[in-house]
This record gives sequence, structure tokens and C-alpha cells, in this order.
Amino acid sequence: MNNTQHTSHQYNQELEAARSKLMTMGGLVETQVTDAIKALLERDSALGEKVSFSDYEINTMEVAIDEQCAEIIARRQPAASDLRLLLTIIKVITDLERIGDEAEKVGRYAVEMTETASYGDLHNSLRHLGEHVKAMLSDTLDALARLDVKQAMQVVSNDQQVDEEFDSITRQLYTRMLEDPRNIKDSLNVTWCARSMERIGDHCKNICEYVIYLVKGKDVRHTNLEKMRDEILGND
Amino acid sequence: MSTTITEKVRASLGKRYAREKRFRAYGFISIALSLMFLVLLMFNIFSKGLPAFSSTYIKLDVTLDAQTLGVTADATPEQLRTASYNSVVQKGVQALFPAVEERKQKKALKSLVSGDAQYELQRMVLADPKLIGTNQTVWVLADDDIDMFHKGYVDRTAPEADRRIKDFQLVWLDKLEAEGRIDSQFNTTFFTRGDSREPEQAGILSALMGSVYTMSLTLLFAFPLGVMAAIYLEEFAPKNNFWVDFIEVNINNLASVPSIIFGLLGLAVFIQIFGMPRSSPLVGSFVLTLMILPTIIIASRAALKSVPPSIREGALGIGASKTQSVFHHVVPLAMPGILTGTIIGMAHAVGESAPLLMVGMVAFIVDVPHGITDPATILPVQIYLWADSPERAFTERTSAAIIILLAFMILMNLLAIVLRKQFERRW
Amino acid sequence: MTEATLNMAAAAPQTHKPAAGGREEFAHDITGTVGKPFLDGKDTKFFSRGVNVFYTGNKQAIFDVNVDIGRNEVIAMIGPSGCGKSTFLRCLNRMNDTIAGCRVTGDIRLDGEDIHGKEQDPVLLRARVGMVFQKPNPFPKSIYDNVAYGPRLHGLAANRAELDEIVESSLTKAGLFKEVKDRLQTPGTGLSGGQQQRLCIARTIAVSPEVILMDEPTSALDPIATATIEELIDELRQSFTICIVTHSMQQAARISQRTAYFHMGKLVEVNNTKTVFTNPQHQLTENYITGRFG
Repeated sequence: MNNTQHTSHQYNQELEAARSKLMTMGGLVETQVTDAIKALLERDSALGEKVSFSDYEINTMEVAIDEQCAEIIARRQPAASDLRLLLTIIKVITDLERIGDEAEKVGRYAVEMTETASYGDLHNSLRHLGEHVKAMLSDTLDALARLDVKQAMQVVSNDQQVDEEFDSITRQLYTRMLEDPRNIKDSLNVTWCARSMERIGDHCKNICEYVIYLVKGKDVRHTNLEKMRDEILGND
Repeated sequence: MSTTITEKVRASLGKRYAREKRFRAYGFISIALSLMFLVLLMFNIFSKGLPAFSSTYIKLDVTLDAQTLGVTADATPEQLRTASYNSVVQKGVQALFPAVEERKQKKALKSLVSGDAQYELQRMVLADPKLIGTNQTVWVLADDDIDMFHKGYVDRTAPEADRRIKDFQLVWLDKLEAEGRIDSQFNTTFFTRGDSREPEQAGILSALMGSVYTMSLTLLFAFPLGVMAAIYLEEFAPKNNFWVDFIEVNINNLASVPSIIFGLLGLAVFIQIFGMPRSSPLVGSFVLTLMILPTIIIASRAALKSVPPSIREGALGIGASKTQSVFHHVVPLAMPGILTGTIIGMAHAVGESAPLLMVGMVAFIVDVPHGITDPATILPVQIYLWADSPERAFTERTSAAIIILLAFMILMNLLAIVLRKQFERRW
Repeated sequence: MTEATLNMAAAAPQTHKPAAGGREEFAHDITGTVGKPFLDGKDTKFFSRGVNVFYTGNKQAIFDVNVDIGRNEVIAMIGPSGCGKSTFLRCLNRMNDTIAGCRVTGDIRLDGEDIHGKEQDPVLLRARVGMVFQKPNPFPKSIYDNVAYGPRLHGLAANRAELDEIVESSLTKAGLFKEVKDRLQTPGTGLSGGQQQRLCIARTIAVSPEVILMDEPTSALDPIATATIEELIDELRQSFTICIVTHSMQQAARISQRTAYFHMGKLVEVNNTKTVFTNPQHQLTENYITGRFG
């Protein structure tokens, strides 16, 4: 993947611009997610508010990058790796935008839940899930920046752990709601937050699959992990 | 920065335009000069040559009596042919001026009319023997000196010794003029006779026919030979082959060999080795063929080369053989160019005299040639011979012959151009 | 995450070997050509093994080309100028024979028959393998005569009626009949560029070849005429095998089933067109397709 080698300098710059914008958007999304989780865990309603109001930035970026990609496709008719790069960018920004949406949701619930007395042992589980998701997102963006297939594979396999953690939180919440119906409102809020974080993990997984497609030219969506590993890394 | 460039450009503009104007002026001047010379040349030739298309006739009253002729009414054609028409003519002339007695004047009187007059009477009688015994009024050719006088080339005011027409002749001529017995008519002799020592009887026909025969044969030999050679060399001959290159170099060299060398070659090979008839259009055309072959070959090759390869490939691509692609497509497309080369070659040949001098086509030919092996001469040589003759009347005939040669050439080129246009219809 | 890491990642070493990861599985079989140059025997129209072409002075134009060309497929040959794609195309109907000093070695078979065999006649071969050229080159004759030239040459029509029919059906197949049916006797050179090229195609299919070779057939045409020809090529695929050399990668992508990439006289990659244009296996192909130098 080497964008500095096109005969057309302009083309190099256009692709590079789209890519760097993508990374900027990634950075923005990462900040949003970090802030949202922080607001949730530290009951910081101001931060939560800020997160829920910052989502429009991500949305405008998505539109801008989309437009840029459409222009490159129309003007340059990219093929092979360039084509894959643009397809990947277009798909990745959709997922990034969704991640942004999820972060916004978490931010909103964080504001609502500042009144909640205590999460109890849920606090720990949520923190754990949050850390995990943050790490996943960071790894994903790293893999995207470096076009690192191994790291992308790692993220894809990590997604299972996130799912498991989400399941465990759900079970904890069942118990909590059964114990005291007054907890239902808070518990539901916590469920939505956990759900959002789990969704962020899913989107990260998608992005990593696109990275694999970008680098290897192989679509690995909707296959199981073992097969993917065989196909991608087996012969390395 | 940009202003200085603009200024620099503007500063140089005047000079550049001036140079352009100057160059155009040079071109215009050279065209004008060459046109001027051409016009001068044409004017000279036509002013000198046109009078030759008319000649002076004198009206004679002759008595074709059997006694003077020395034949009887029932004479055989042989007797009629050898009858004494000369006496009849002489009597006719004397009858115009019965008073003349002096011997010298009598002789001058006889030479008032051309030696052709008696043959004119002979032709009349042979055509119609019944004329014997009748009186006839005939227009007979005047002598070339009389012709010159009548056309106004003799200055009456010059001293008598400097004139070919003496004072007493002037008196006669004035009398004839007054009686309406002297007149200019279209010179048919010039177009119907061969060469003659007497200018008024000299014609261009033998030379013209010689040229026509020679040129037709030359075209017949040179065109197919040259075109075939060109096609072979251009399309079929192996490339980068020593012998092909050798032949090519030699063809190019031959194009620049002086034409008289070809004449020498013709003399040595065709006449001395093969024993072909000297002075004949056949040998002449062989020599001219050799001379113009290189021109035709080189021009034809250039024409073939300029046919786009896409046409060849197109034909080959649907399965035409090499020969088919060449003859169905390449040659027809190259034809205009080939014809141009041939025209140039033929125009060169028609004006050529040097090589033909060497094969004897410079002979004095009275009879019109009737075949390709008859002795003949050609127009340029005829012009050369006449230009060499001392009689004043030959000067105008030389120019007239040049006019005929030019007309011949123009006609030939016109034909070729028409042919070329026909082929050039590229759709 | 920063620009620096991006660029570091981007600065993968440029080698002719496949870039890191995964491509060795396709790597060089005996032919030196990556991808899928060979087909099942029964689908093979043209079979070529070890084809070399030399020009005067032992200058080698193409090196050891091994590829199969399938029945009723459109195979596009792409590559930079002077890469040998046209030269290879012209091997297939022995058009190179007409170039002085050109020598072709190797084994080329059409339906299993050696085209260089003793009993094989180049004129017959060219009737079976027709060719359309870069510049529309109708003969300076009428439209009718242009199309009728081949059949007349090979004696394909017994009488005028049959010839008329061949001309009409060829022009129809070439998508030109409707446009010219009222002026068959007018000159072929009076047509527009695109019509001229279709006339050349009609002229080629009039002799019912099995394969049509096209050497950059649209490079002299405007986009609309190009689109018409491309549409025509797709229709002709039903009855003919078509090998097309093109400078336009987009054209190759649009019309071909398989694409062969030539580079400096070598056949670098042959693959399904889809694969070549989304995920080429060889770095050289990738560079060419994406417009990188190297």
C-alpha cells in the first residue's frame, strides 16, 4: 500500500488526504468514546453533555469524506489497491460514525445516571468493559493506520471477549432487577450503555475485517475465526 | 518580470515582421522574374513561329496542253508522272510578265515560284487526267524569299545589294499584289510533309510521327518494366540483402548519368551487337527507355512506400496473399504517384535529343516513317537541324516546330493528368 | 495514529516480489506467469507455450509466453507501450511473418493444430483468425466491396445473391447494417471513425473466422463510438473468440473475461478480469493498474 508512487502527484495527494482525514475522524471518535466512558464511570454530567453535543463533528466528517471518495472515484477510476482503499474508507467511516453515535448515547445516559446512587459491583464490570472497548478501538485504529493484518486479526478475536463481558453484565443486571424492582430504571440505563459498548466492539471488528480486505484483497466477513486465520495467516 | 518579457517580445516584433515581409518579397520577386522570362520566351517563340503557319501562294494561269507536257491524252499513269510539268509552270510564270527578256531576270522569274509548283500540277493531273488540254488557274507555293518578302521581312529602303529581292523583283511583286495574284494561305505543307532543303516545302510531319512512334514505344517498354521493377524492389525483394542494396544504389546512380552515355550504349549494344536498324524509333525508344527507367522506378517506389501499411495489413488480415494485397490495394493506391513519375520521365524523354543523335536519329528524313523500323527523326532533333540551316525562312519554322513540340508535350501531360485524376478518385 | 506512523506504514519496500504476506501461494509456477494462464483442454482455443519473438539483430521482443485462450472468451492484453502485447497478438495469426527479420519460436496451437506446421498455410490461418487494427482501415472502395472482399477472395459465395446475404449478415452482426443499408455503394472511407471501425469488423467477420484479434480497436475513436464497439464485442463473444490489445485499462475491465498483463516482453499475470482489477497478484500488475511508476 504505497500512495506516494502514483504517476499523478495530484492523485497521491487526493488519496493521502482522504486517508489522513479518515485517521483524524478515527482520532475524534476515539476521544468521544474515551470521554463518554469516563463520564459514565466518574458520573461527570458536564463531560457527558459535551460528548452528546460533539457528535455532529463526526457526522460532518463522515459526509465530507464520503464526498471526497466519490470525487476520487469519479475522476480517477481507481483500481486494485486504490479501489480497495477507497471502498475501505467508505465502509470504515460508516462504522466510525456508528461508533460515534454509540458514544453519544453513552454520554446521554451518563448525564441521566449522575443521579443514580451507586452502580455497586456493576461499576467494576462496566469499567472493565469500557477499558476493553477502548483498547479495542485504539488497536483497530492502529491496525488501520499501519495496515497491520495481525493486529486486525487480534482485534477480531478480542471481540468475543467483549461479547462475553456484555453477557456477564446482562446476567448481573437480571439479578439486580429481580432483587428490587426500583432498580429497573437504572438497570435498564446500564444495559443500554453496556449494549452501546458492545456495539462499539462489533464495529471495531467490522473495521478490522475491512483492513484485512484492504491489505489482502480477501473478504473475510461472515466467516469463522479459524477459517480466517487459515486463509490469512496460514501461509505467512 | 512578465512586463520585461512582454517588452522584449514587443521590441523584437518589428524586426520579425520585417524579416517576414522581406522573405515574402524575395519569393514574389523570384516568381515574377521567372514568369517574366517565361513570357519573354513564349513571346519570342510565338512571334517568330506563328508566321510559319501561313505561307505565300501565287496565282498562275497554266495551260496543261499535251504538247508542253510531252504526253498524249491516253498516256499511262507512269507517263503522266514523268511528264514535263516544269515547262508548264515556267510558261505560266512567263505569261505573267511577257516583257522580261534579260537572262538573269528570266532566271529570277523562274524562281518566283517554289520547286513544289510542278509537283502540285503533277498531283492535280494524276488525280484527274482529264485536265490535260484545259486551262487552269492554280495557286502555287511561292519561293521562300518571296514568302519572306510578303510577310514583311524585307526592308525596301535597304541598299539593293543587301537585299535578296532586287529592285526589278519588287516591281513584279507590286504588280502581282495589285492584280491580287499573291496571297497568304494556311500552311498545310508544314503539317503534311517531311523535311526538305527548301524551307517553303519543309514540314514537321516526319519528325512528329518519329516522336509519336518513339514515345509510344518508350511508354510501352518503360512503364511496365519500371513499375514491375519498383513493385518487386519495394514489396517483394528481401530487405537488407547485399544484391538488392547493390541494385538500388545502381538505379539511383543511373538516374544521374548524362543522357548521351545512354546514346553511346544504344549504339554499341542495340545497333552494333544486335544489329537493329539504325535511326529507327525502335532503337530510339530502347535508349530512351533505359534513360527514364530509373526515374520511373524511383518515383514508383516512393509512391508505393507512401501507401499506408494499414491497408496492406487490412488485406493480409482477412487472408489475402501478399500478391493479392499488393495488386488489389497497394498498386491502385500508388497509381497516381506512379503516373506522376511516368509523366516526368516521359516529359524528359520527349525533349531529349542527345542520346538519339548517337543512334542516328539525326538523319535528314524526307519521308514520313510508316513503321517502327523506318528511319525517323524526332522533334527536338528536327528543331536542332532547322536552327542550323542558313535560310531566313527556317528561323520561323524552327520556332513553329518548337510550338509543335510544346503542344505535343502539353497534350501528353494533359492525358497523363486526366488518367491520374481518374485513379486519384480515392472515394 | 499520527501522520508519521501512517507514512511509515505506507513506505513498504518496492520490489518486484509480491509485497508482504500471502501472495507466494500464487507465485511462480514454471511459466513465470502468476494467476491462471492455463485452462482445461476442452475450453482451449489457442494454446501457446514458450513463445519467443526476435526482431532483426536478435533483439528479443517477447520472452517465453505461456498462455491458453479460451473458446468464446474475450481476453484483454494490457501493458505499457512496447511491452510486447501487440507482438504476441500478431503471433496468433502469423502476421509477424510479414515483418522482415522477425522470427517466432515456440509452440502455438489453434484447436490443437500447430499454426507453424508444414501443412498450415498462413493465408488459411488468417482466414480463420481475423484481425482488426488500431486505425480504421477500410479499403478505398464501396461499403459493399469492403465487406465482400474477403468472401470473394476465398470464394465463399457461389453467386451474387449469396454474396449479398453474407454482406448483409456481416454488417448486421457488426451493428452497421441499419445505418448504411441505403448507401452500400458509397465509399467506406466516407463513414465516421466508429462506423469505419465497425465496417472493418464486418469485413473481418464476413469470412467467418473463429477468432478475432483486435489491436487497440478503439484508440482512434471518440467515447461514444468506443462504447458502441465495446457493446459489439460483447455480442460477438457469442460466436467468436476475441483477443483484444488495449491501452485503456478501463476498457479491458469493461469488456474482457480474462486479462493478461505484459511487461517488458514477459507475460506477468493472467487472471480473471475481476481479480486483476480488484486484487492483482503481482506487484507489477498492481503498479500498472493503479497508475504507479515502477
